[in-house]
Amino acid sequence: MSTLPAPASVYRAKEGLGLWEHRGKVAAVGIGHSPTFRRWDGTPENSVGGISLEALRRAMDDAGANPADIDGLVMDPSTTTGAFWPKGKPLPWEAINAYRRTDDPLDGITGLSAEWILANMPELTGIGFTTYGVGCMSNAICVAAQAIGDGRAHTCLVLKSWHNLEGRYYQGGANAGEAIPGSSAIRSLWGTPACFGTAVQFAEYCRKYGKSHDMMAPFIENSRRNGLKFPEGYWAQHRPEEITPEDYAAARWIAKPANLFDNDLPIMVSAAYLFTTAERARHLKQKPVYILNHATSRTRPRSLTPTLDEVEEDTARTARKIYEGAGITADDLSFENMYDGFALFHQFHIEGLGYRGLKFGEALDFYQTDIGISGPNPVSPSGGNIGCGRSRFWMHTDCIQQIQQRAGARQVTGVKPEIAVSGGPMPVGGNYMVWSATPD
Amino acid sequence: MILISFDIDGTLEEGDPPGVLTIDFVREAKEDGFLVGSCSDRPISAQRAMWERHGIEVDFAVSKHMLGDVKARFRADVYYHIGDREDLDKRPAERAGFEFLWPHEALERPWLGRRARGVFEGTRAG
Repeated sequence: MSTLPAPASVYRAKEGLGLWEHRGKVAAVGIGHSPTFRRWDGTPENSVGGISLEALRRAMDDAGANPADIDGLVMDPSTTTGAFWPKGKPLPWEAINAYRRTDDPLDGITGLSAEWILANMPELTGIGFTTYGVGCMSNAICVAAQAIGDGRAHTCLVLKSWHNLEGRYYQGGANAGEAIPGSSAIRSLWGTPACFGTAVQFAEYCRKYGKSHDMMAPFIENSRRNGLKFPEGYWAQHRPEEITPEDYAAARWIAKPANLFDNDLPIMVSAAYLFTTAERARHLKQKPVYILNHATSRTRPRSLTPTLDEVEEDTARTARKIYEGAGITADDLSFENMYDGFALFHQFHIEGLGYRGLKFGEALDFYQTDIGISGPNPVSPSGGNIGCGRSRFWMHTDCIQQIQQRAGARQVTGVKPEIAVSGGPMPVGGNYMVWSATPD
Repeated sequence: MILISFDIDGTLEEGDPPGVLTIDFVREAKEDGFLVGSCSDRPISAQRAMWERHGIEVDFAVSKHMLGDVKARFRADVYYHIGDREDLDKRPAERAGFEFLWPHEALERPWLGRRARGVFEGTRAG
């Protein structure tokens, strides 16, 4: 039987749910990352299937877990950064046939099923539970945490992978068809660059609060600086380039006021985490990082692009859900790792959270202060997508590593890493996780 | 005077992806007295660092949309931009009043990169 997406009821999307019933009873222990690549080179080992196997095995090894003891797999079957296998292009049979196949020959190349993973990881002999957290790692970790809490699995691998092919992205797939359904006809086909909606919100933000695009420069500089200290990241591995305020000011507009460096770079990468019960985590190799809550926004905007008012209402609502379920307040956050791909919406996330007492309209002034990893107010210590490339999971890996005190050169030193929050992607519509050094 | 602007990614060997033009090709253009620089989506500081690493003193390093500024800054008889993208190199270059060359076309110009290509007076290196 095919693996199915997790039902909507798994996500904690409403206010007023109270403390999460499994607060502190689920923990992250292992992390596994594949190497990064700008695009697939055509080799089997660097296919999205190949790098996923590598990430999963590294996560088990990192945790010191016996593969036979793993009984759950939660993942996102979608792997595209916006690149699709071109219609009419011969299939890459050498890479396809290097692994055990499923019915879909592009499984493991431009998509990834749980069945493909299990067929190619014979060491996973105990899997009894598989499901999809569709969208990104933020979905998958929420689903996995809830599954372990509910007892559907006791030790679960959580996986998110991305493929990127040659050529321009967002030009293939449905966008290349003769017809396109729904509002995508306006948003994707004849519409605007992906960052357009965020650019509109940011322009309104600047108008409303009297701010300017150049006030983002310290955030961008900080993100890339942190990303270059993330050895798993694309920029650290391939192009160790900083972004100075001068570089940022000179970058071309993609959708003004969003410039090139406000956008992230599509890459190939895979990451896996090992989640287990708090009890089992104590017997594994790494320090457990306890999950205090997961929360979700499923808000539908009134029109195609959420207005600034809608963004602010929803980020505030999301924060209330995050804090209520975790039993914490903004004052308990050691640091934040909210999503940043596009950079111009990071401030919406952290203003909604009230991080360090921020109110709406104050984050860009906050960026002009010390937001580095050695200061008292770390902002995006992972470097996020801006610092490491498009994955939407650096923020989660960083939270786990920071709390485990193994973030290396990126380790926060101005605060004690005890409680952190990460998640995204969009300020209206995302999934969030609260991590803690202790279960209560 | 000839001014040559080089795109990096997909054009130069150091690019991501690598292109067909070598760094020595650029070095030789500079040594031959051309005005030489880069026009790329890479951060300007990273472009400068790349040229410094190769010991090439370029005349300019700018972002992709700044060819017009380059033309205003430097007086030359002809302006060339060499790049690998229709949308991000060819069209903006032509709009800015530059002649445009694809990387393989640059290799075919007899007045460019002769030594780097191993072309000497009447002989061809093996």
